Amino acid sequence: MSAGVRGRRQWPLPRLADPTAPLLEVEDLSVRFRMREGSVKAVDGVSFRLDDGEALGIAGESGCGKTTTALSLVRLLPPNGRIRSGSVKLFGIDLVPKTEKQLGRYRWREIAIVFQGAMNALNPVQRIGDQIGEPIEVRLGQPREAARKRAGELLDLVGIPKQRASAYPHELSGGMRQRAMIAMALACDPAIVIGDEPTTALDVMVQAQILQLLERLRRELGLSLMLITHDLSVIAETCDKVLVMYAGKVAEEGPVNRVFTAPRHPYTKKLLSAFPNIHADRRTLDVIPGSLPDLRNPPPGCRFAPRCPAAMAVCREVVPPEVRFADGVRVACHLYPTPDATPNLDLALAGQVPALDGEVAR
Amino acid sequence: MSARYILRKLAQAIFTIVAIVLLLFVLFRMMPGSPDRAIRNPNLTPQQVAAARARWGLDKPLLPDQLVAYIESTLSGDLGYSIKYRGQPVTEVVADAAGPTILLIGISEVIAIVLGLLLGAYSGWRRGGTVDRVGGGIGLILYSMPYFVIGMPLIIIFAAGLGWFPTSGMTTPGGPTDPWSQFTDLVHHLVLPVLAISLGLIGGYSILMRSAIIDTRSEDYITTARAKGLADGRILRHHAFPNALLPMVTLIAINIGYVIAGAITAEIVFNWPGIGTLTVVALDARDYPVLEAIFLLVAVSVVIANLVADIIYGFLDPRVRA
Amino acid sequence: MSLQATELTVEPPAAPTRRTRDALGRYLSRTDGVIGLAVLVLFGILALIPTLLVGPLQNVTTATGTPLQPPSLAFPFGTDELGRDLLNLTVHGARISMTIGLMATLITVFLGAMMGIVSGFAGGVLDAFLMRVSDFFLVLPTVVLALILAPVLLDLIGPDAELFGIRSTLIVVVVVIGLTSWATTARIIRSQVLSIKERMFVDRARVVGSGSGWIMRRHILPNVVNLIVAQAVLTFAAAVFTETTLAFIGLGDPSAPSWGQILNAAQSAGAPGLGAWWYIVPPAACVVLVVLAFTLVGNALDEVLNPKAGGRR
Repeated sequence: MSAGVRGRRQWPLPRLADPTAPLLEVEDLSVRFRMREGSVKAVDGVSFRLDDGEALGIAGESGCGKTTTALSLVRLLPPNGRIRSGSVKLFGIDLVPKTEKQLGRYRWREIAIVFQGAMNALNPVQRIGDQIGEPIEVRLGQPREAARKRAGELLDLVGIPKQRASAYPHELSGGMRQRAMIAMALACDPAIVIGDEPTTALDVMVQAQILQLLERLRRELGLSLMLITHDLSVIAETCDKVLVMYAGKVAEEGPVNRVFTAPRHPYTKKLLSAFPNIHADRRTLDVIPGSLPDLRNPPPGCRFAPRCPAAMAVCREVVPPEVRFADGVRVACHLYPTPDATPNLDLALAGQVPALDGEVAR
Repeated sequence: MSARYILRKLAQAIFTIVAIVLLLFVLFRMMPGSPDRAIRNPNLTPQQVAAARARWGLDKPLLPDQLVAYIESTLSGDLGYSIKYRGQPVTEVVADAAGPTILLIGISEVIAIVLGLLLGAYSGWRRGGTVDRVGGGIGLILYSMPYFVIGMPLIIIFAAGLGWFPTSGMTTPGGPTDPWSQFTDLVHHLVLPVLAISLGLIGGYSILMRSAIIDTRSEDYITTARAKGLADGRILRHHAFPNALLPMVTLIAINIGYVIAGAITAEIVFNWPGIGTLTVVALDARDYPVLEAIFLLVAVSVVIANLVADIIYGFLDPRVRA
Repeated sequence: MSLQATELTVEPPAAPTRRTRDALGRYLSRTDGVIGLAVLVLFGILALIPTLLVGPLQNVTTATGTPLQPPSLAFPFGTDELGRDLLNLTVHGARISMTIGLMATLITVFLGAMMGIVSGFAGGVLDAFLMRVSDFFLVLPTVVLALILAPVLLDLIGPDAELFGIRSTLIVVVVVIGLTSWATTARIIRSQVLSIKERMFVDRARVVGSGSGWIMRRHILPNVVNLIVAQAVLTFAAAVFTETTLAFIGLGDPSAPSWGQILNAAQSAGAPGLGAWWYIVPPAACVVLVVLAFTLVGNALDEVLNPKAGGRR
């Protein structure tokens, strides 16, 4: 298998690329939205890393900032959004200080986005073949015929018959539109493909097909993927790493099999158990009471504290530090003040937390 | 485009025209102010009166005989005879006047559509920019001005004042005889009236287009286009504009009725020998047959304009074609 | 054509006085709305007390100036071809133009709102029928219809009838504007009622035992009223616009000159060709200012009373 983008790609890397740097390194990213009522810190100090050929899933409730994080990588923010601080290093090149014009070089050619095709993310009056060919023609400077040919190949790749290239988006089913969006994302052979809720609004059978497609493309092309979704099963199936976000901050991050089988952060645990499990005994749905905090004035300390059953006094005052464990998992929770802390999470969630020195700290 | 779509729209158009003809019948035969009164016009000879009564079947019962006769004569193009223009068939009178009006409106609409849409698109895309604020303000003012309110100052400044253009009329009486000079003379006379109407239209069209572009701007496929790294101008031209154009087509067509009506006022100001001037003359002389015919003409034009717009819309919007 | 107030989001009914105060505050923060309102107030004053400001309306016998004179100290707006003071005429024109506009708006809004609410609420065959009827009226161009209806209506009501101090020709104008404009208002109100109806059936599942009439009054009425108000103001703008046009064509009343009628007289007197700008500019400017002002106020009202989700515009 080709070792990711640097192994397989025919187009050259950006001129400024550092061949030794990791594919994508995001450090302390903060994004603010200026609304009428005040400034909303939608993303606050988020860091993560994506390596060549990896698939990272970003999970969390609606409004936790996962989509904003992904879109801000290429600065696809609405006019009232701004990256406040932090760095986004693609091949070691920091994209944050770039001007809009300079940033254009990286859009689609290095980082492409697959939006939810079920809505009208495709231009309704343009044929899909032309929409797929557009970046090839305009961004890569290829002649129209070559672009058209390549579009046909891409359609083939995602499993759409080539003659559908002359179809309009409304003539395709939801699943085919999603495939078309994937084909379009691959048009410039990008380093990273971001999928923003790629399977939401599709029925289960089609979902499975799309995920299989993504997996196949990842294997064959050595794609690096970022999947944003609230559906943990999608991440479990397709991703290597998972990043769990809550209210604009990172709760937990690490290899999927570690995080999902032995979650450390209370929110992760709650998220996992909130999912109906077809194999489990019948029981009432384990919901997380309360709702997301008001991001104009986030609570001091841990943002999950108001809803966390394991919250301690310190949680409401001090922002939990990020701690990295030996198995590669990163957590931001006061239950884990050091890399060797091993509290009993179930007990903690039931309201009893033995403090580090043996006493019950509540 | 599917034949069914065209047929459906055609049927609707015909239905509306029939309704209009019926309305006219009601107004002009059943209402107190019917042509029966008009026949008592002292200017007509007794023979003319008798002939008119017979032709219009006024000695027969109202329904269904008169109705049938009315519909028949309308369809066969016999719209009666003008009262003012002694005995001239109404169809002739109106046809003579229609040409200049079509010329005037046609040119004005084309100019206004092109400039108005472009201006509106650019204003809406760069919302809050200088073009938007200046253009938007001017557009709003122009939109509040009836054509004659635009026209009169134009005459005062450019014709009476600076003398660059004639103050009225379509041609110079007793003017040039060779085709080229006649053509330039016509153009010379066209400038101010066309300017008056175009400016009024541009105001409205740019406001509507601006709003359409702003709506389009918040659509998802525009975000996709931005994500593709396409240049701003290209996104406007290739993605926003074609989509914003769709509702505009319908709006422009609906507007044609108002344009024709407004052109009447412009013609009065410029003494343009078209339907407008004819209307005023007919109104003054209580020439009902002519008024009736004008109404029919305008209403039918509006219906046809809507039909054409629907068909064009069908061509432009692939979602409708299926 | 007229600018339309469009869809709005349905708001739960809050305390009425607080809402009005909120709305007032928001309205006053918009420059365009404030300017428009100021202009309207000014013209309102002119319309209410013209005699107080410039004396009684001049006619042929009371005209004192030399015909067609440009502005001077004695006659700040100059004189018309009968020697009348144009300042006097223009100020009086305010009352006439705006009265006609007001009456036409009342008819339009009443008819349109009623049709829209009935049509939207009843649904079914009645709705379809009313919509076809309104489509028909939408097609008819106002001015042309006026020209046809005018003689007919005049015969119906008699040439000397009077209603609220305006004569038959002007009554005709009012009726015609009402007939041709109600359709657009009806459509807008109808679509609003439809969307409220939809939400109502969702809400009703939650509200147990509440009569539908009560819900209708608490939910539909407040939200439709807002839309009606915004529409009414914009209709007023269109009504003044149309009345001016109709008067210009010749459907005005020379003894009660609206601005359009003054312009008609100007045209007949050959003012443009003669360069008599003073005859044309005042009434024209007044029309434009009033229409513009109503449009600004209407748009501002529309945004304040009917905030769109997402804060567009």
